[in-house]
Amino acid sequence: MTTPSPTVFVVDDYAPVRRSISRVLHAAGFAVAAFASAEEFLAQYDPRTLGCLVLDLAMPTLDGLELQDILAKAGSVLPIIFLTGTADIPKSVQAMKHGASDFLTKPVNDEDLLSAVRVAFEKNRSVRQQQTELSEILARLATLTPREREVLEYVVTGKLNKQIAGDLGTVEQTVKVHRARVMQKMRVRSVAELVRLTQRCGISAR
Amino acid sequence: MSWITIVWSMNAAACLTLAGIYLLVWCKQRQNWAHLLFSFTAVATAAIAAFELAMMHAETIGQYEALLRWIHVPVWVLVISFVSFVRLYLHAGRRWLAWSICCLRTLVLILNFVFTPNLNFRHITSLRQFSWGGGEIISVPVGVANPWGLLSSVSLLLLLIFFVDATITVWRRGDRRRALVVGGSMIFGAILAWHVPLVIWGIIDIPFFLCFTYSGIVAAMAYELSYDVLHAAQLARQLQASEAELRETEQRMQLAASAAELGMWMWDIARNEIWITDKGRALFGFAPSEKLDFDRFRSALHPEDRESVHQAVENSLRTGAEYESEYRAVLPDGEVRWIAGRGHVEFNGDGQPVRMRGASVDITKRKQAEELAARQRNEMAHLSRVTMLGELSGSIAHELNLPLTAILCNAQAAQRILANGQVDRTELREILNEVISENKRACEVIRRLRLWLKKGEARQDSVRINKVVQDVLKLIHSDLVNQKVIVNCELARNLPAVTGDPVQLQQVLVNLVVNACDAMADCNTPERRLLIRTGTGNGNGNGAVLVSVTDRGGSIPEEKMEQIFEPFFTTKAKGMGLGLSVCHSIIAVHRGKLWATNNADCGATFHFSLPIGIRGTAVPISSNGQLDDHA
Repeated sequence: MTTPSPTVFVVDDYAPVRRSISRVLHAAGFAVAAFASAEEFLAQYDPRTLGCLVLDLAMPTLDGLELQDILAKAGSVLPIIFLTGTADIPKSVQAMKHGASDFLTKPVNDEDLLSAVRVAFEKNRSVRQQQTELSEILARLATLTPREREVLEYVVTGKLNKQIAGDLGTVEQTVKVHRARVMQKMRVRSVAELVRLTQRCGISAR
Repeated sequence: MSWITIVWSMNAAACLTLAGIYLLVWCKQRQNWAHLLFSFTAVATAAIAAFELAMMHAETIGQYEALLRWIHVPVWVLVISFVSFVRLYLHAGRRWLAWSICCLRTLVLILNFVFTPNLNFRHITSLRQFSWGGGEIISVPVGVANPWGLLSSVSLLLLLIFFVDATITVWRRGDRRRALVVGGSMIFGAILAWHVPLVIWGIIDIPFFLCFTYSGIVAAMAYELSYDVLHAAQLARQLQASEAELRETEQRMQLAASAAELGMWMWDIARNEIWITDKGRALFGFAPSEKLDFDRFRSALHPEDRESVHQAVENSLRTGAEYESEYRAVLPDGEVRWIAGRGHVEFNGDGQPVRMRGASVDITKRKQAEELAARQRNEMAHLSRVTMLGELSGSIAHELNLPLTAILCNAQAAQRILANGQVDRTELREILNEVISENKRACEVIRRLRLWLKKGEARQDSVRINKVVQDVLKLIHSDLVNQKVIVNCELARNLPAVTGDPVQLQQVLVNLVVNACDAMADCNTPERRLLIRTGTGNGNGNGAVLVSVTDRGGSIPEEKMEQIFEPFFTTKAKGMGLGLSVCHSIIAVHRGKLWATNNADCGATFHFSLPIGIRGTAVPISSNGQLDDHA
């Protein structure tokens, strides 16, 4: 499974602004893809995309806030940097509430734009990393047998082998074997580490 | 001397006097032939009287014969004069009858001198002398009557018929007094004249008194003619009175004219001379004795107005339309005065302009008031534009921000490209091109803003309305995008130009579009559609350019259709209620009309019409005073 390289996606209906922003980003070493409208962007949108979105707030038909909504509903984690010609407070508040990465006003200084893009990239990178870790944990979890999973849920509550055996109606020795296998399959050395992992993927203790 | 001599002599004298008077009258008025004819009649009657008197006193037969022969001459004159008088003065009597009488009478005269002793008698045997009526001894002829004398009687009969016929004609014509007096006396005289043949035939025994029968007619004619003279005198008196009245009226008129500061004038076109009242001279600053012609008048006008006045005059001379013009005159001391001139052209029978009469009045004060009103109206329009710009400021900032962003980013990108060391010349060239074009765009926005905010007099340009629509859409583009309003334009091609102020017309359209957008604020996004249409149609009976702005918002309650154009009427929380009233006054100044209608499905449409080609005035003349309310 190959993931696309991180790219800055620029969406602005005004061509000179779109082109000049792309040039700045490109000159600063970023991969850039530019689109004249939200619809055009959505047409080629790939959920695995990495990078960030530099989005014009006011556009005919579909505007920036609406695109943000659509992407959020689609579960996208692409950070959005809004660019606006007017400092419209209600709209900037709405944008930030909905998780915008940054809100810049035109004309934008290159350093401000680039640092915002870097921050967004970093944000995207860390979110992506967390997502990768989580999927790895889930993959390890998937290797457990139902019995081992049951044992795991008892283990993370901090119960002793003897107590677990009592609850499960088996002998302490069997529980001990299961616990060792769980620790091995989940690739942890301590119970504390196991607890951290299960918390991250939302498994509740019994 | 007995009464007979006295009476006959008096008769002759009276007739001669009348003849003298009317001959004199005729000498003064040669065209009045009736007077001359009357004089002939009167002289002939006097002569007849003299002959009759002489005949009465004749001593011998030879004397009597000679007198009787020569009396035919005045009788001939008399008959011819009577007939001519009836024909010429009364305009009556049959022509053939008149000619027959004249010819017959002439024949009688000729025969009279052919026969001896005369037409009446073959020979006179004796003169019978006797005392008559208590007077002196008179002579009456006794002899054999000449049968040719019947011709004379026939002519007398024809004369009687002629008189009767003429009298009936005059009577029927409704001129009864004249028929009674002249006709009656003539008939009566002609009947009495029958005593002559009766005496000659020896049937009655009296002296001839033809002079009396005829002097009756003469008296009647004199009365009639004097009546005419009196009538003329009466007319002359009336004329005098009406002339006095006319002078009075003229004086009153002059008084009124000078009270109204009116200068009356008359231009004799053929001689190119202008007559003008003193008030008028003062109005234009002409010297009291200065000779005036059209060029002198033209030279008194303000150079800018000469051509328009000239055209107005030319137009009146060509079409006969009333001359109407408002212009400035420059007085010798440099003072500029506004004058309104009205006049009309008089043409001769060939349709050539002969003269032009009219009046001019000083309208400087009115013009000043109108200029003040126009200035206030322009200031109001300006204020309204400034206010509107406040509302649109966000959108206009955006319009400026776009090119500025592109310029800044492009410049910084170029810096980075240079810093990176790998210079792509093509890209740099593109960047610079874009910097330049974006700079121009920003300048264009600023230029539009400057125009929009410019204060001053309304212009009188030739305006293409489609260009106004496009300019307006550029000006408020960002606002439309922000509000997610989709604008459709249906602009008619080849629209004729209108005359007016482009910025004020833009202002009207911006107002209408912004109002339409506000009206659709509550609509769902895809419903926020605006339609701008241009076309031609009829406005106030003339060709007009029509513009309409259709929205899909709420409709306007019917009872508020007129109210919305009133100042300070508003339905918006933030509005002052001036926008539409300012628009209304702007369109009115352009001699157009602004009105609203509700759409069949939803929303309302605002329309305005502008007359094609007609120059609006910076200072309108409003009949209903509505403009001043808005101003």
